[in-house]
Amino acid sequence: MTLQLPVIIERLSDSFLLNGKLFALTLIFSLPLGLVVAFGSMSRFRLISVPVRAFVWIIRGTPLMLQLIIIFLGPGLMNLPFYWPAGSNGRFVAATVAFIINYACYFSEIFRGGIQSIPSGQYEAGAVLGMTKAQIFFKVTLLQVIKRIMPPTGNEIITLVKDTSLARIISVKEIIMMAGEYTNRGLIWPLFATGIYFLVFVGILTLLLGYIERKLEYFKA
Amino acid sequence: MPILQVKQLEKKFGTLEVLQGIDFSLDQGESLAIIGSSGSGKTTLLRCLNFLERPDGGTITVNGQLIFDASDPSTQHESDIRKKRLHFGLVFQNFNLFPQYTALQNVVLAPKLIARERSDFGANKKDILSEIEEKGRAILEQVGLSDKLNAYPHMLSGGQQQRVAIARALAMEPDILCFDEPTSALDPELTGEVLKVIRSLASRNTTMVIVTHEMDFARSVADRVIFMDEGAIVEQGHPEEVFGNPQKERTRQFLLRYSESS
Ligand SMILES: Nc1ncnc2c1ncn2[C@@H]1O[C@H](COP(=O)(O)OP(=O)(O)OP(=O)(O)O)[C@@H](O)[C@H]1O
Ligand SMILES: [Mg+2]
Repeated sequence: MTLQLPVIIERLSDSFLLNGKLFALTLIFSLPLGLVVAFGSMSRFRLISVPVRAFVWIIRGTPLMLQLIIIFLGPGLMNLPFYWPAGSNGRFVAATVAFIINYACYFSEIFRGGIQSIPSGQYEAGAVLGMTKAQIFFKVTLLQVIKRIMPPTGNEIITLVKDTSLARIISVKEIIMMAGEYTNRGLIWPLFATGIYFLVFVGILTLLLGYIERKLEYFKA
Repeated sequence: MPILQVKQLEKKFGTLEVLQGIDFSLDQGESLAIIGSSGSGKTTLLRCLNFLERPDGGTITVNGQLIFDASDPSTQHESDIRKKRLHFGLVFQNFNLFPQYTALQNVVLAPKLIARERSDFGANKKDILSEIEEKGRAILEQVGLSDKLNAYPHMLSGGQQQRVAIARALAMEPDILCFDEPTSALDPELTGEVLKVIRSLASRNTTMVIVTHEMDFARSVADRVIFMDEGAIVEQGHPEEVFGNPQKERTRQFLLRYSESS
């Protein structure tokens, strides 16, 4: 069988869409979830903050690859009354869930650091002006937090792009897995082509993140 | 009737008694200077008045209305505190301006948020907001910053930032405006412009409590001076009395140290 270049490119592109989908879904859910986890870890109630911090510690202290396997195989092996949907769809959903949990924990630590780095004087200035706690958060501190967390969050987002290919460990047919199949048939160039996909995607993201950071340069905090 | 009456105010941090029964009152239009050595509890007193700290004992009465009584939990509801602290304004030592807002936005932010709670806000939104904006400009002009309306805090000198902070506090029209060492964070050449603003507020009969280490300023601008030491008021009276003829040995010692160091 002859392997034609356009066909290979098309297959690589299709599988890279899977990486993109995993990336987008992970971001959409893990950013807000990360904020919730951050507030949980900062809670005054130790009954909330201690377990949340322990959970974050476990997730950040173990490899994402291990988490992928456990989340995918765990329910079946532990006889839980819960199964992922059958087939490739189930593998993808399991991978997405694992990524969201993992990244929410990483983001939560960034958010927590950002929130705690805001000087107490900002809260107090808002309070003596009669603002509610919510007004102080949304009108005073939020933008300052966003400005401070942009660089580390950007790094994490770029890491996520590359991490999406870890999903192949549970046979999600993402781009590196696809390229690997051609390698088995003696072709090396699809692997290099895969690299270019990542480079272009990361390049675009870098520009976008840089743009947002520049937008926030009008003030110093 | 005094506009502010503070009785037996006490505050502890752990076992440290930072305020040990503070009694004083303030008349409408009066400016009160509080002096005292570091750690004597001056900042803590202002923070108690602004409900940034919860006193452990005593009462605070504004305009004859008891707004805080340490022995009466019904005066301490979290939901009322926000309204009650609007009787007071506070200008911080290190300004605490909101960095992402311009001078004018810093001044009008809180008044605009408060205006949303007005019953006629929905109907007259535009007028109300532009009125607040107008007033903000006027106040900034009053503190000499009409050319800095659209400057962000990081573009302003310390003295200008502190004047924006004063304007921000004034915009809320507090009954009593408190200053916590408003010039201590400033280079010496910038203190003058801030003191000038406070002086002009005094001449317009703004009711003020000013914690300061600027003895000459306190002497010339205040109607009354309180000297605090170790959480208690040692001496209070007309500036000429306290500075010119202090009755207590501790006051004398304190003033002596100051005249030596300056
Ligand atoms: N949040 C706090 N927790 C514990 N102790 C505190 C706290 N705030 C203030 N103190 C202590 O209370 C005492 C009075 O502090 P305060 O800041 O009121 O003094 P001050 O008169 O304003 O001094 P300075 O002239 O240095 O500003 C000090 O001993 C200080 O260490
Ligand atoms: Mg102080």
